Amino acid sequence: MESWILTLVIFSPLAGAAWLAGGDPRDDRATRDRALISSVVTALLTLVALALFYGASGGADDGTYCLEVSHAWLTGSADETAPVDLRYHVGIDGVSLWLLVLTAFLTPLAIWGSFTGIRTRLREYYALMLVLQTGMLGVFCSLDLLLFYIFFEFTLIPLYFIIGIWGGPLRRQAANKFFIFTLAGSVLTFAGVLYLAYFGYAHGGLERFTFDIPTLTSMGKSGAIPANVQWWLFAAFAAGFAIKVPLFPVHTWLPLAHTEAPTAGSVILAGVLLKLGTYAFTRLSIPMLPDAAVTFAPFMATLAVIGIIYGALAAWVQDDVKKLVAYSSVSHLGFCMLGLFSLKMAGVSGALLYMVNHGLSTGALFLVVGMIYERYHTRDISQIGGLGRPMPWMAFFLVFFTLSSIGLPGLNGFIGEFLVLLGTATSPTTTDGMPGGPLHYGYVIPAALGIILGALYMLWMCQRVLFGPVKEPPHTPDTSTGLTPDLTRREIGILAPIALVCLFIGVYPKPVLKAMEPAIALHILQPGTSAYEDDKMLAEGPVVPRPNEIGDRLASALGSSSPADGANPSHDCGRRVKPVSAHAPHRANEQPRSDPRLTDGDRNPADELTRREPPG
Amino acid sequence: MSLQDYIMALAPEVILAIGACLALLQGVSRGDPRRRLVAPLSLVVLVLALIATVWVGVPLADSNPPGVRVTELTYYTRTIALAIGALILLVNWHLPTTNERGEFFSMVLFSILGVTLTAAANDLVLLFFALELVSVPTYVLVALSRDDARASEAAVKYFFLGAMSAALMVYGFSFLYGCAGSTVLAGSPDSIVEYFRTTPVMPTYAVIGLLLTFAGLSFKIAAVPFHVYAPDVYEGAASPVTGLLGFLPKLAGFVALVKVLDTCNWNLPDVLYWLLWIVAAATMTTGNVLALLQTNVKRILAYSSIAHSGYMLIGVLVGPVAGEGPMRDGVAAMLFYIAVYGVMNLGAFALLSAFTIRGEPVEELSDLGGLSRRNGWSALGLAICVFSLMGLPPTAGFLGKVYIFSSAFSLGDDHAFRLPLIVLAVVGVVNSAIAAAYYLRIAAAGYVGEEAPPRESVGGRPVRWALAICSLAMLWWFVHPSDLADPAHRATAQMPPSPAAHTTELALKETGES
Repeated sequence: MESWILTLVIFSPLAGAAWLAGGDPRDDRATRDRALISSVVTALLTLVALALFYGASGGADDGTYCLEVSHAWLTGSADETAPVDLRYHVGIDGVSLWLLVLTAFLTPLAIWGSFTGIRTRLREYYALMLVLQTGMLGVFCSLDLLLFYIFFEFTLIPLYFIIGIWGGPLRRQAANKFFIFTLAGSVLTFAGVLYLAYFGYAHGGLERFTFDIPTLTSMGKSGAIPANVQWWLFAAFAAGFAIKVPLFPVHTWLPLAHTEAPTAGSVILAGVLLKLGTYAFTRLSIPMLPDAAVTFAPFMATLAVIGIIYGALAAWVQDDVKKLVAYSSVSHLGFCMLGLFSLKMAGVSGALLYMVNHGLSTGALFLVVGMIYERYHTRDISQIGGLGRPMPWMAFFLVFFTLSSIGLPGLNGFIGEFLVLLGTATSPTTTDGMPGGPLHYGYVIPAALGIILGALYMLWMCQRVLFGPVKEPPHTPDTSTGLTPDLTRREIGILAPIALVCLFIGVYPKPVLKAMEPAIALHILQPGTSAYEDDKMLAEGPVVPRPNEIGDRLASALGSSSPADGANPSHDCGRRVKPVSAHAPHRANEQPRSDPRLTDGDRNPADELTRREPPG
Repeated sequence: MSLQDYIMALAPEVILAIGACLALLQGVSRGDPRRRLVAPLSLVVLVLALIATVWVGVPLADSNPPGVRVTELTYYTRTIALAIGALILLVNWHLPTTNERGEFFSMVLFSILGVTLTAAANDLVLLFFALELVSVPTYVLVALSRDDARASEAAVKYFFLGAMSAALMVYGFSFLYGCAGSTVLAGSPDSIVEYFRTTPVMPTYAVIGLLLTFAGLSFKIAAVPFHVYAPDVYEGAASPVTGLLGFLPKLAGFVALVKVLDTCNWNLPDVLYWLLWIVAAATMTTGNVLALLQTNVKRILAYSSIAHSGYMLIGVLVGPVAGEGPMRDGVAAMLFYIAVYGVMNLGAFALLSAFTIRGEPVEELSDLGGLSRRNGWSALGLAICVFSLMGLPPTAGFLGKVYIFSSAFSLGDDHAFRLPLIVLAVVGVVNSAIAAAYYLRIAAAGYVGEEAPPRESVGGRPVRWALAICSLAMLWWFVHPSDLADPAHRATAQMPPSPAAHTTELALKETGES
């Protein structure tokens, strides 16, 4: 079970799509049902994977990869001596786990949410949604760089058609812009991927021409890649990933794509697809190119901060609700990037949590906006108003998800935001004697300003849409498709699970953070660049938070019980750690050789990663 | 050497030649039923030739008759030319009128014969003859393919430019003969290979000879600056014939290019190397940028075929690295790519061949509107082929790009042209992003375009089978590329590694392992 569960999760939507395509084209009801059943089955399989993750030896505790499968694929040669080694290698760790779960959770809801909105070419629509899901799940499970890239690129095709066929009036333009922008960036990433694999083969001491992510990560961490090569590779990777995120100057495709996409397209785009970019930074750029990550961090963080402010200001002046939420995504993803490039446990885990939260709350906001649109056929704020009275349920959910989105304490948004800012602020400054203390308080101030702006425009939007005198366009609300003036039971059934999860993460984020932190410590951050683990720094005893502690403290600060919260919450942000006590658990984490996976001969132990000396 | 040796070494070619003559005879016979048999007969001939190819395999080097050298490269070229030739036949099945069927299909067979003979030739004279045998039937096919002035114009244009390129090439061959004193390419003490091996500095006449040879071959592969005919000819010919034009001459041209470079041991003087570099970069960029401006699908695909030649030239410039597989071996990557290109390009033309609008062929982007609604499977087939041309997963076109670009990135540190080739690969990568813009318009036309006037289906089953096979092959070769990559890998095994490509670092690595 353990070995094939992820493969099953990844490809079950594809099987669902085939099942769907084989159905009766005129039976719309059966088509919808089959799509929903298929995506629910995928979600259940993901739950099984989640259970196995916790059951697997050490998966949840020491952060190693779990549920791995690795098959030779695309070796390019039948004989085993050929140096090329491309593998179908999938597996998850705490970093990818929650994004995988998020994808499996959001897709059925997005499909369910399309039942009334999509009325033409249903079979194609639902088949494409399921195919898209396969692509997204594949990205989060891939442990082979080329496989990752294949899934990463593959997501373009179904979403292109979803926007292009079922979108709004400017759908063709939006779909083309989305496709070409994203592809233009990612071909450079492609070049970087190929070069990195070659570099590992020719100079990194790797036996084979491998794309294996764990192997390449250990090579990057071992310092085998010289700084100038790292910079080039980082730039090439960033070209593709930053467009996907989207980072500030290359975000322009996003508002158009969001506005024109059908509701479910927006939900998936905001909820999951943007995370492919941030996830790729987390999984690939930062651990494989640690020096470049430190070097580029101020630059990336500056762009992120500009994006936070710019996105917020742009969202403020939008009249189109959907565009407003789209610009808010630009702003929010800026927070993710800021947290990532703090290169601190708090920042990175905060950014990962933020990704999940943003997926939930923004996805839900797009769903609510879509529900308004289905009834009033407009998203223009100036044409609607006072909807709180005719649609109390909708008003409740809109306010709820708005509050979640702006980071009200007690709801999910707050934790991520707080950790990101904490990580950024405590990212060591140069006075620590650290070689790379990339970020500092200077980035926190504008980012915090962005939070205030976020609260302003979101609440203002709520006010204009929900309160004041009732304003409805003529001949609305349109109930011809079986909708009721307020939300139907189906629609409440879509939004309620998201709201519950938001609330749960808001009051008890510990399970999520706890699974993430060992994996971040093991795979993402590493000695030498990461602030909190550096030997030299530990010897000097600087102010650093310990891993696993922040989540506990935060949870305890928020009033939930936590077994590990013996510490005084007043010393929240960090304290002087004794070198020895902090050292021991990390050393335990850093012994991959004791891991049985590494003895299977496929993987190069870290000590072989040093550059081989020429004989004689 | 006895006749038997020739027949043994050239069994597929002999079968093709006999089959082509039979087809010609069948075509002039009376009675429609017999003439209708020409297409199935040609298919049988191709299958027999394929069987003969596998049966003959690669004979020992000393059993080759003079003028012929059957190598792994020959084997690979024969296999893909015959297999894709069969697909081309399916696409063309319905095209010729009954009284032209004999001529038409015999010309198709002769053209395929030219390709396989190019791969087997070991003599400049035979090589020239084989290359012309590829091209001359295609001039006829262009003229036969349609009954209007555009086809005739295209045929005349194609013929004159083709004749000029043939003249350039044969002039180049004469220089090579003048220098080496032999027309034999390899395998004997007084061959051209031996001459280049024993001559440390290439004399100017040899450089001129190679230059002219490249010019002649550039026409076959539609590389800049000999590409200008491609859009007009592609547009003028009927779509099924265009599918053929995009593949057979290109395959012959690249195989001949590899043979010529093999003859000079992959050791080009810098000036020629730079020239090919510029040609590759210009070919990619010109093809892709000009394709952006087109609205006619056939013209788009014509420019895209120019661009693809540019990508393949990267592989040729990298050269063979025997035993390393297509990830590092440029020639193996090119051989993989050209087979994939042939299939995906043919798939797109198969779709254009399968429909008409009020009796007129489907050619403009707007003609494809609403394809997905009324012809869902055809639209899907087109989408797969187009995404493969674009180089997106999950199609074989993606792996083709992986192999080509990765071979350029993985040159050794002391290769004299390492940096220029990396730059070239980056140019190629950027170009494939530009290309996405116009390929997307083709895919989009079928799915999101405005509804076109009603289309009639033409061509019946064979062309639809061809489209289905092409698109399934794109998916299959993505999942299981070693079907194609292994033979391509073996095809370069006998080639001398390009001297500069051997890096000290990797050499050290090998000794370290041993």
